[in-house]
Amino acid sequence: MACNLSERTRAGIINPIFTCQPAGAQFASIGIKDCIGLVHGGQGCVMFVRLIFSQHFKESFELASSSVHEEGAVFGALKRVEEGVDVLLMRYPHVRVIPIISTCSTEIIGDDIDGVVVKLNEGLLKEKYADREVYLVPIHSPSFVGSMISGYDSAVRDIVKYFATKSDPNGKINLFTGWVNPGDVTALKHLLSEMDIEANLLFEIEEFDSPLMPDGQHVSHGETTVEDLRDTGNAFASIALNRYEGGKAAQYLEDELGIPATIGPTPIGIRNTDAFLQTLKKITGKPIPQALVKERGIAIDALTDLTHMFLAEKKVAIYGNPDLVIGLAQFCIDLEMKPMLLLLGDDNPNYARDPRILKLKEKVDWDMDIITNSDLFEMEDRIKNKGLDLDLILGHSKGRFTAIDYKIPMVRVGFPTYDRAGMYRHPVVGYAGAIWLAEQMANALFTDMEYKGEREWSLNVW
Amino acid sequence: MPHHEFDCSTCIPERKKHAVVKGPGETIADALPAGYLSTIPGSISERGCAYCGAKHVIGTPMKDVLHISHGPVGCTYDTWQTKRYISDNDNFQLKYTFATDMKEKHVIFGAEKLLKQNILEAFKAFPDIKRMTLYQTCASALIGDDINAIADEVMEELPDVDIFVCNSPGFRGPSQSGGHHTICIAWFKDKVGTVEPKITSDYVINYVGEYNIQGDQEVMQDYFKRMGIQVLSTFTGNGSYDDLRSMHRAHLNVLECARSSEYLCNELRVKYGIPRLDIDGFGFAPLSDSLRKIGLFFGIEDRAEEIIAAETARWKPELDWYKERLTGKKVCLWPGGSKLWHWAHAIHEEMGVEVVSVYTKFGHQGDMEKGIARAEEGALAIDDPNELESLEAMYKLKPDCIFTGKRPGEFAKKVRVPYLNAHAYHNGPWKGYEGWVRFARDIYNAIYSPIHRLALVDISKDELPSESGFQTRRMLSDVNLSDEIKNASELRQYTGKFDVTPDLRNKTALDYPYLRQDKLEQLV
Amino acid sequence: MKDKIEQLVDYIMKHCLWQFHSRAWDRERQNREILTWTNKILCGDIEKPADRLDRCHWVDAMVLADSYRESFPWIKGLAKPEIETLMKGVRERMDFLTITGSKNLELTDQNY
Repeated sequence: MACNLSERTRAGIINPIFTCQPAGAQFASIGIKDCIGLVHGGQGCVMFVRLIFSQHFKESFELASSSVHEEGAVFGALKRVEEGVDVLLMRYPHVRVIPIISTCSTEIIGDDIDGVVVKLNEGLLKEKYADREVYLVPIHSPSFVGSMISGYDSAVRDIVKYFATKSDPNGKINLFTGWVNPGDVTALKHLLSEMDIEANLLFEIEEFDSPLMPDGQHVSHGETTVEDLRDTGNAFASIALNRYEGGKAAQYLEDELGIPATIGPTPIGIRNTDAFLQTLKKITGKPIPQALVKERGIAIDALTDLTHMFLAEKKVAIYGNPDLVIGLAQFCIDLEMKPMLLLLGDDNPNYARDPRILKLKEKVDWDMDIITNSDLFEMEDRIKNKGLDLDLILGHSKGRFTAIDYKIPMVRVGFPTYDRAGMYRHPVVGYAGAIWLAEQMANALFTDMEYKGEREWSLNVW
Repeated sequence: MPHHEFDCSTCIPERKKHAVVKGPGETIADALPAGYLSTIPGSISERGCAYCGAKHVIGTPMKDVLHISHGPVGCTYDTWQTKRYISDNDNFQLKYTFATDMKEKHVIFGAEKLLKQNILEAFKAFPDIKRMTLYQTCASALIGDDINAIADEVMEELPDVDIFVCNSPGFRGPSQSGGHHTICIAWFKDKVGTVEPKITSDYVINYVGEYNIQGDQEVMQDYFKRMGIQVLSTFTGNGSYDDLRSMHRAHLNVLECARSSEYLCNELRVKYGIPRLDIDGFGFAPLSDSLRKIGLFFGIEDRAEEIIAAETARWKPELDWYKERLTGKKVCLWPGGSKLWHWAHAIHEEMGVEVVSVYTKFGHQGDMEKGIARAEEGALAIDDPNELESLEAMYKLKPDCIFTGKRPGEFAKKVRVPYLNAHAYHNGPWKGYEGWVRFARDIYNAIYSPIHRLALVDISKDELPSESGFQTRRMLSDVNLSDEIKNASELRQYTGKFDVTPDLRNKTALDYPYLRQDKLEQLV
Repeated sequence: MKDKIEQLVDYIMKHCLWQFHSRAWDRERQNREILTWTNKILCGDIEKPADRLDRCHWVDAMVLADSYRESFPWIKGLAKPEIETLMKGVRERMDFLTITGSKNLELTDQNY
């Protein structure tokens, strides 16, 4: 009875958990205002990423491709970056930031995107766009390294590195949210406002849940501005909620600009939210107000209604973004549930040293497997062939058929969740997120009890 | 037919040759948009890549196959679960996807060993499946892995498996269409003729360029069964790998999406003398003509006529109910390729809508010839549209509905134009007689959505649109209809089921016995 | 006559797909074979297709001829030489629209 950490033993991936680095860089890019990322590679690297964003958020986001075709793949395609930047700037007069995002193909052929940025800065931008302020940010995101998670982490660091400038202290903290939803940003802002703390929040993606306005003119985009990005250099502290999504940027600011960084924990569940508030308190010296004590009380009250009657002993598998998975596992344990299987979809060697994972290895008193560099087939194979008995699955939509085929209730959480309505609108972080998650899990179990006719009568007197 | 210049594209003048307005009395010989040319970088085109054209569009609908991509994980992930091509074997092809997971060390030292391990593992993980399609990606093409050699090696070691290799990296050609071409030619060269089929009818066809979106293939196959025709293979929706290896034994190739697979039919015609018959599965009249032609070809036109009569009697009153309410509505027909010509005339003729614009993401000039020929005067035809052009067209044309992809549908929503998914459909299948009514029903539901009407209101300025607490669709759609039409007892709304595929799957046998007579020889 | 030809050509353009095969040589064959068959059928000549490729042209022609008779009843009143002249005009116009006057640059591609 113990928690084991191991790596996928098969050479290949069957049903991937993550996509590749350029998707992560593109997710960072859409968080910036007046910004259109230019992905240097084949067109599919953009078209499908835009599609998956639109599947998840039910919105369309602007991202461009350098459209590398055969001759570019053979002879080098930097010309197409130059042309792409020019075309974007000509046709989108509001654009100020163009991240230039590499892919596997253009990294293999050795296209020097840093060099082309220098060339464009010296040439095109001076000659044709002298009256415009334009920032070209090279972002290396070869698809054969890491995953969408490291792609996001590196891109956020590269963007911050590009812009962060030290001038006057702004009295704010930098808050790197990691790969979250608009609902999470709302919940985080609420906690900050209750604490009376001003934060530079990266990225401001609350508006990803964008309106359909009577003038018919709305385009969905993030709200983090160039000024906000520059201002990251003037904060007195940084918090990266997720170790693997934004941690590098916070670390960069600490190392290079002396802004102290706190990395994690991901504020999922009561205990991690408590820790987040304690961090805020410690950094700012501001007290945790009664309003949050009450909010916490409401959450604890809601969880108490569910935990030992319904959630206790429930065996759960969790997959997705690493900080999310670890946070959910910790929360489930507090809810008396038993995480049996955690799947992390890439080969980041730091997982083995993650203190949270070390703690799980040390303390968990049932059989629990944490698999890195994993795929979704790992879960299905264990259910089908290795006697893994699950009551619940927590993860994104790509695992839906395992839940459906093996009749296991599933709560959609993470990215992407395209097969349930409006999931992006709800938080998983903060006390609000704890309530939402626990109630989603309970309701999924209740629906399953009724559908299968298993103790469905017990809900009569709850 | 003057070329059309978009205001947003004056700075990229080469775009002008990609758009044309069909003027009065003008023909496709007067002007035709350029097509299948390199995409302009940074234009925010909607095009995908040649890998997805091969693997995602054409390869994956094959249902009894392990579909494995040799490259980093993203290509596989991104092209997984974004389509609605179903199958009658529990959607195996939707559920499982395989990536060799190429990493930096493989890029440096080669990934052939990794590939071989992957293939062996995949067959081991799914011991009941003995067929595999294997796709090159940008990365594996650029590092020069010899995928065919590895596949041959495995086939030698495992004699009961068969592997198809498709070398169509993402950068091959201006769009996904390059991949359609590559996979068609590769399949023809490498696989057709390698299996001898079991013949079960005197009348044998291949159904080509049909991807079983929401069950289209199963609807059409049902008609063929009812005519006693054996569908030897379908390329590729709900299609079986080994059936497709035996395509050379069909009497006739019935071609639906010529854009994606006419290459295959052309090659089959040249090498095996199998005629290519282009058909339309959409629209009562075009579909009836199509069934009639297939019936005539085999000398069983009476069987076709029987189906046409029964289906028309059953569904025409429902189609006409919608036609009365859709007549005059403006639509943009903005699909990927073939639907611009499959639908352009049929929806005008049979649903009464005005097609004010057609576009194609990845079509060639041949598709535009068909689309413009079938569109009415005034239609704006756009090749490889980009985001700003689409927006400009919508502001200018003010369509009541657009038929396009999921993501463009999201920005149409913001412009307050309802959209229907032209690739994956809303509530299909849309082929067949019933399917065509479902399409009309879906258009009706989109255009007369009360919520859509509310989206047009600015509560800070406008009067509230209605005094009642709700609006039904008919309060909106019937407002200008005569009492005669409104109360017409012979017309009715759609009466079919939510899911039409289970009933189709229950029927397995052909409606006529196999007489083992070479009927075709007797006819010619 | 010109107006009648245009009506018949427009019908093909709106309803048929056979005239838009991939390459110039395909289109020449399709126009020639199918319109020759259509002419024969409209003239009442009873012949049997020679092989299955020919039969495929014949079925397109059969359906087209039926549609012509239904959509353009005047056609039934024409004498055989008139039909032949008419169909010759249709063929010429179709060849122009789909081959010689076509702006489709892929027609001359030597491969499929």
